[in-house]
Amino acid sequence: MAEVEQATVSVRVARSDAGAETTFEVERFEPMTVLDLLLAIQREQDLSIAFRFSCRVGMCGTCTVRVDGRAALACTTPVERDVRDVRLEPMAGLPVVRDLIVDMAPFWDEWARVTPYLVPRAGLDEPAVIEPDSEERRRIDPSLDCITCGACYSSCGVSASGRDFLGPAALTRAMVLVADSRDAARDERLRAVGQSDGVDRCRYIYGCSAVCPKGLDPAGAIRALRRWRLGGGP
Amino acid sequence: MAMAAFETIDTDVAVIGSGGAGLMCVLHAAAADPSLDITVVSKGAVGRSGCTRMVQGGFNAALDPDDSPELHFDDTLKGGAYLNDQELAWTLVCDAPKVISELETVAGCFFDRRPDGRIFQKPFAGQSFDRTVHRGDLTGIEIMGRLRDQMFRLGPRELEDARALDLILDSSGELAGVSVLDVRTGAVALLRARVVVLATGGAATMYRIAAPAREKTGDGVAMCMRAGLELRDMEMLQFHPTGLLAGESRLTGAVLEEGLRGAGAYLRNAEGERYMERYDPERMERSTRDVVSRAGYLEIMEGRGTPEGGVLIDISHLGIEEVERRFPGMVQRTRQIGADLARGPVPVSPTAHFHMGGAIIDRDCQTSIAGLLVAGEDAGGTHGANRLGGNGVAESTVFGARAGDRAAVIARERDLREPDHGQLGRSVERAFAPLGRDSGASPFELTRALKEVMWDGCGVVRDGERLRAAAETIDDLAERVRTVAVPGPAEVNYAWQEALDVRNQLDVARAVVVSALSREESRGAHHRTDFPERDDERWLRYVVVGLDSDGELQSSSRPVALERRRLASKA
Repeated sequence: MAEVEQATVSVRVARSDAGAETTFEVERFEPMTVLDLLLAIQREQDLSIAFRFSCRVGMCGTCTVRVDGRAALACTTPVERDVRDVRLEPMAGLPVVRDLIVDMAPFWDEWARVTPYLVPRAGLDEPAVIEPDSEERRRIDPSLDCITCGACYSSCGVSASGRDFLGPAALTRAMVLVADSRDAARDERLRAVGQSDGVDRCRYIYGCSAVCPKGLDPAGAIRALRRWRLGGGP
Repeated sequence: MAMAAFETIDTDVAVIGSGGAGLMCVLHAAAADPSLDITVVSKGAVGRSGCTRMVQGGFNAALDPDDSPELHFDDTLKGGAYLNDQELAWTLVCDAPKVISELETVAGCFFDRRPDGRIFQKPFAGQSFDRTVHRGDLTGIEIMGRLRDQMFRLGPRELEDARALDLILDSSGELAGVSVLDVRTGAVALLRARVVVLATGGAATMYRIAAPAREKTGDGVAMCMRAGLELRDMEMLQFHPTGLLAGESRLTGAVLEEGLRGAGAYLRNAEGERYMERYDPERMERSTRDVVSRAGYLEIMEGRGTPEGGVLIDISHLGIEEVERRFPGMVQRTRQIGADLARGPVPVSPTAHFHMGGAIIDRDCQTSIAGLLVAGEDAGGTHGANRLGGNGVAESTVFGARAGDRAAVIARERDLREPDHGQLGRSVERAFAPLGRDSGASPFELTRALKEVMWDGCGVVRDGERLRAAAETIDDLAERVRTVAVPGPAEVNYAWQEALDVRNQLDVARAVVVSALSREESRGAHHRTDFPERDDERWLRYVVVGLDSDGELQSSSRPVALERRRLASKA
């Protein structure tokens, strides 16, 4: 980290106001993330640039943008030493509020439709006794830790094109709850994901699983739901 | 800058903040009375702002039959150097098991299990029993994700990307509501409410090296101050001992979790020495945060730091696979900066992390203003002079829940009030002033300057001279913030938001420095080289500050009520 190259990075940003500056030369430092690029632009070159972030450690899921066309968290995407140019755009398929900030409402509308919260089964009065290596937990655990960042939505050819589809994030949440023995809404949820805008609309492009910054596998979750829908559950 | 005419929204309960305290409050208020109209005001994305989301370590609760609230209480007081409000600390430890149960059975969280299927609890620094509940090293995502999902069941009104500006009173001085700025549109609304719950989080971002999320700029505490409330323990600002050092990157200050030290990580200075030997030979790296932070800071100051200005944390002796398995999030975090926790030492520094101080509340989160409740990090007293790891998310959720219960009761008793329009106008005018100026200070410069002065003048180790100098610099910055200028428009203008943030941070910073000056001893997170000893004879007292009617900050101190525990042997 001692010898910092005195180079700059050329950053092209999709702006929503006509006439706003779109290209910035940013002096680089090490280590540097895409979020650092944006903060440097805001601090030193253009106070009006709009982007969202909160935790800057990949936990809040609010800084998603497209970096050279691919949806990613700005805060966990490094700007490697050999990078000369970076292109930043808002997520695909969501209305732009300003510059890189999008309105997540369509994403949440889909999320809400799978009944995204646990509906506790009768008698669940204290923490359930469930062994950590049980089949149930082995299904669920790898699909938790969704930070609802929307990267999968943006990269999904079906969701992002505005067609009626519950989408990879909501379906992953549905899978997690359907597999949860503490939940009482399994049938209702399986019906919801089995409708025409549900699992059958997935085209298995695997964009979602490729971009998930948390390493989740929404495509795998959708496959599981397709099987369970026929058998009534896992 | 012309500002839009403002609308009035009437609600029963206004919850300011959407982290652990805010959303638990909604959950409880709605459960207590489903007919309540509840409004959540969140400066960032609902459920995805603030620090509960960032919790790695876990949640302390006495669940095991061999553990008890009494033991948890004793640990909390010992950790807090007996400065704690004992009623609040007792409430925390008694409610924590209930809240864990509720998070699992109502909210749907699932915490890590033991092989027999029951909740697993791990050891954490400063605790006499393994009582920290967690989910891997991403506990906060499980809690906040599930709480956010509960909002789809409950359907409160969500004002997302909306900043609460000021508490607004009526002409007789009773609480009427809150002025709110819509960050997206630049429009102002008056939120009239029977009850207002402040749950915005602390202000530790005011330090050069700091851990929290960006929203945490002391908004709630600053609003309390401006409304004339008294604050306690404001000098008690916790530094986490192991913040990442990543140069100019925003990653600097991000926490490497406490569990690393619990699992046997070593701390070394640049000379390779395990320096904790000289500060706490018994507990070594597993000592409490205040002790380990101070040790690291002193090593760096005395020239035994690394070129990056840090010390080194090293857990690679556990083996690559073991470290990767147990701390995946932490390993990933270090690889992002070109280091690798699984394979070798990583440079770290103390990082500003948590504010123990805040508004004075009772065990139901009530303040001296009727209808105003404060919960979570905005309130002071629970942790005393130092917070134990795992007691933070416990505090937010326990007191958020209590605030919700209480809010439901008060909402039935209190009427909506007619706001003092003069005060409302001044609140809005002050907020819009930066947009109206052609030239003036840049908000980002002011934030930087504040971070420097707090780090150097009121940081891990303090003395009277530097504190007085810091107070003067903060006064200068407070003058300059009155001239800050930001180009328009009002819509989605984050430079303007920064100007409003730094104004709140400066209000809080002044309270921190004045409190630190008045505490002439060392205790917990507050260490003064000119008064290096803990002085129980004189200073088993908490510092109280507040603005008088002329806007001057006054400080005094009051004895800690030792109603449940007398002072045990010195920690």
